[in-house]
Amino acid sequence: MDINSIPRIAPGCRLHPTEEVLLVPEGTLQLSGPAREILERLDGQRSVQAIVDELLQQYPGAPADEVRTDVLSLLARMEERNVVRSS
Amino acid sequence: MTEVTSPMSSPFSLIAELTHRCPLHCLYCSNPLEMQKSQDELSTDDWKRVFQQAAQMGVLHLHLTGGEPLVRKDLAELIATARAAGLYVNMITSGVGLTEERLASLVEAGLDHLQLSFQDIDEESANHIAGTRAHAIKLALVPVLKKFSLAFTINLVVHRMNLDRLEEFIQLAEQLGPDRLEIAHVQYYGWALKNRALLMPTEEQVMRSLPIVEAARQRLKGKIHLEAVFPDYYGSFPKACVGGWGRQMMLIDPVGQVLPCHSAAVIPGLSFDSVREHDLAWIWQSSPAFNRFRGDSWMSDTCKSCERKEKDFGGCRCQAFLLTGDAEAIDPVCTFSPHHGMLTELRVSSPDVLPVWRG
Repeated sequence: MDINSIPRIAPGCRLHPTEEVLLVPEGTLQLSGPAREILERLDGQRSVQAIVDELLQQYPGAPADEVRTDVLSLLARMEERNVVRSS
Repeated sequence: MTEVTSPMSSPFSLIAELTHRCPLHCLYCSNPLEMQKSQDELSTDDWKRVFQQAAQMGVLHLHLTGGEPLVRKDLAELIATARAAGLYVNMITSGVGLTEERLASLVEAGLDHLQLSFQDIDEESANHIAGTRAHAIKLALVPVLKKFSLAFTINLVVHRMNLDRLEEFIQLAEQLGPDRLEIAHVQYYGWALKNRALLMPTEEQVMRSLPIVEAARQRLKGKIHLEAVFPDYYGSFPKACVGGWGRQMMLIDPVGQVLPCHSAAVIPGLSFDSVREHDLAWIWQSSPAFNRFRGDSWMSDTCKSCERKEKDFGGCRCQAFLLTGDAEAIDPVCTFSPHHGMLTELRVSSPDVLPVWRG
């Protein structure tokens, strides 16, 4: 997973419509902080860079380096857990 | 990101045994010895009502199993109802009889996850263990499954008869390319208990298998999520069976009885309320069976004063009863159980006993 990757949520994983969880096979991943906002943007079209740019636009004044690091680290952990894929 | 473990207020998952009819006759079948008859099965409307009640209670995961859930002609309708109610829908299947068209209808209805188990890498042995010629059917199904957008898990059920081939068995699973791989030792309940002497792995086999599983876990990281279940007869502390009695899950059998686990019916003196007469939430909160082993008042003093009681809840009640005759006893897997020594004898497998298949 890097800044140019195009991430998407793995087949059989989806955001719960109301609860702050990602439903995955045999389990649930609790979402905290901006995790839901990030995951909602994974559509297999947008790159990580595009997602970071959108978040920065939505939250002007947020430190760009920190947002980039947070987004990449969340997606990398989720990729290792096999619930996010990237191309 | 943390895994949710024990929401006390509502169950996390519901296992729906839609039918006990099954084309397979596995030597380790977890269904009860006395199976429910097809004419007594819950109707489509019963199941639909139950799935809606489950979602309202806060259940997140629904596991459709059996027997073979594909035997139910109303399966797509049931999946659609469960999914619309907000449940994550998993199906555990033998794959026998699953055509591409049928699968398309199930995915269209909202199936999220499908689990397919393999009995061995060797076809002859796999069919022997399953009591029918299913191995080739399962292999042929995999490329069909992969055309669809759903999570796919391969389960390898391991025991003395196939554990020596674990390395090749894992390689087969890798080639088939699932999202998840479960390596599960047989648990000795139901029909598996009848064949325990035949299926029990040797200590040498178990010890040899551990580094193989660990190596696979490292190798597959980021590609295939691996879950492995250790054989508890070889443990020093019991498993937190079903996450604790009446804490995380409920199971409904084909005729509508609601149980705290697969094999709770072996415990004498328990009676199980039915979704035909009661609301699911009442059964969860108030039925005598679900309250029987909640909390610690039933526990022996050893368990009551043990710091592990919040971790393993005294172990498995069914196993305690099956091995000691007392459902309130400490699970003999626990090193603090006065019966712990008996496991040394039970771990001895008898290669000369004959397999018993269920009819």
